[in-house]
Amino acid sequence: MLEITTVSKNFGGLAAVSDVSFTVHEGEVVGLIGPNGAGKTTMLNLICGIYKPDHGTIRFDGTDITGLPSHKICKLGISRTYQIPQPFESMTALAGVMVGVLNGKHRPNMSVPDAALEASYYLEFVGLFSKRDVLARDLNLYELRMLELARALATTPKLLLLDEVMAGLNPTEASHALDMIWSAQEQFAFTILWIEHVMKIIMNATQRVVVLQYGKKIAEGPPREVTSDPKIIEAYLGGRYAQH
Amino acid sequence: MVNFELRRDRIVARFRDKKTEWVIEPRYWRNPTIGISILLVLPIIFYSYPHLLTMFTTANLYAAIAIPLALQMLGTGRVNFGPQLYLGIGGYTAALLNLHFGWSPAMTLAATITVCTVISLMLSPTTLIAKGLYFSLITLILPLTFLDVTYIWGDLFRGEVGLVGMSPLLSFAKVTWNYIAYYYLSLFLMLTYLLFCDRTVRSRIGISMAAVNENENVARMMGVRVDAYKIFFYVAPSILTGIVGWFIVHTFRTFAGVTYLPLDFMTKILIIVIVGGRAFLYGAIPGAYLISILEDSLRGLGPVNYFVFPLILIGLIVFLPRGEGLWGLYKKKRPRDYFPKLHVRRE
Repeated sequence: MLEITTVSKNFGGLAAVSDVSFTVHEGEVVGLIGPNGAGKTTMLNLICGIYKPDHGTIRFDGTDITGLPSHKICKLGISRTYQIPQPFESMTALAGVMVGVLNGKHRPNMSVPDAALEASYYLEFVGLFSKRDVLARDLNLYELRMLELARALATTPKLLLLDEVMAGLNPTEASHALDMIWSAQEQFAFTILWIEHVMKIIMNATQRVVVLQYGKKIAEGPPREVTSDPKIIEAYLGGRYAQH
Repeated sequence: MVNFELRRDRIVARFRDKKTEWVIEPRYWRNPTIGISILLVLPIIFYSYPHLLTMFTTANLYAAIAIPLALQMLGTGRVNFGPQLYLGIGGYTAALLNLHFGWSPAMTLAATITVCTVISLMLSPTTLIAKGLYFSLITLILPLTFLDVTYIWGDLFRGEVGLVGMSPLLSFAKVTWNYIAYYYLSLFLMLTYLLFCDRTVRSRIGISMAAVNENENVARMMGVRVDAYKIFFYVAPSILTGIVGWFIVHTFRTFAGVTYLPLDFMTKILIIVIVGGRAFLYGAIPGAYLISILEDSLRGLGPVNYFVFPLILIGLIVFLPRGEGLWGLYKKKRPRDYFPKLHVRRE
């Protein structure tokens, strides 16, 4: 479904991503892990067209999306959430989701009340319906993450890019969020590319992980195998631990 | 063709596979009805005071500049400090064509719209390149440059004196009728702009506009064609402002860049927008009337305008920092649901 071939991106002299290739198949849940500054979020930004890759191609559903503007990529069916929630602060939760409903795909036949109705469905789904008229700046972190999820769902994605959804949530909230993501995947049937630091979740949730370090792919495979690889332990914990 | 359908609370218009809905809610009609009827009755009350009628006409024109400006601020997410550039362009286009080539007002209107469209399209990439302060600085400089141009080519533009003697839109035998007619025309212009901008803000375009105003990158990622929006909402309000220039030319029959292009004119427009609140288009009307009444009453004291208005502007920015304006404060006290309430039955 998503094929990334030898993609590179430099910022000045710094190679944020170099020669990374991997594929994501339909219906899969793929984890993208790596230490801080490994280029995970850059990879996500390359996929959704915020940056243009210097080399390489990105194909989605057979279409070449390398360097396409973000709104076209969104209309093709890729949607994302942000590591630091970026809500539309002075819009209500409902209006924020309506943006996604109205623009996510070509909907010539949808009026504002129709969009409000559909947006409220997504809000109800993530459990924020009672907060529909609250301004986004007044929501707490968990609610913001759920709002981002609702906003992403509203664009009817085929591929959902999750950027550290669990960061900053307490264990209860994290398990709620996880349940939410599973039920959403069950109901809307999308593929997930998931960046996460919480290893426990990655181990349980994903079928395959891709490990990045200093912008290079160092491993790929089922999470159990990958995490027992000494190279990965070295990347995460430092060389000393790998020897023991 | 277009099919209309009347439902309990809305009119639905369908054209091929497209549908638009116009929500009718009579409980929201009170304030607009009161406001519009006051504006309609004004000239009948002040029938014998032509200078008051001129003042109200000016107020309507101020509002007609401020309303598209508010729309532009929303749609591009940037503060334009020089909408009067298009007032100048529109005005000079109409005046020069009328004086030198004898074009009729209808023809100069077409020319004004064309010239404003071309120039604003040429300048519209600034909305894509420049952000925040830089955009404001660029737009601030442009009208001042144009003012300099009117001085440099003084033979053509008549920089300090201004152009005089353009043909009027209407002329009646009685002078008072002229004043009243021009008041109603300016009111019609202003209300048309208000209707256009209000419909835009309340439509599905308005929702996406608000998203662009909040965070361009996120909006882009949610499928909004941000660049198209920004260019459209730079060009359309510019054309509307240009038409006001055309109207001034054929109403007051004098047009001087000195009056409209310098900063003190912009200060007035900014005060109107801030009093009205950035996001509240209706607020521009009370703001405009306030400013022109104030301007008129200060006229006896000599040129105090030049420092009174900036002081008011600074005061407003300090005391109303969020750009919600007096109208916004009123709305906060009397909030209304923008979207129809959704009731969900739970077991």
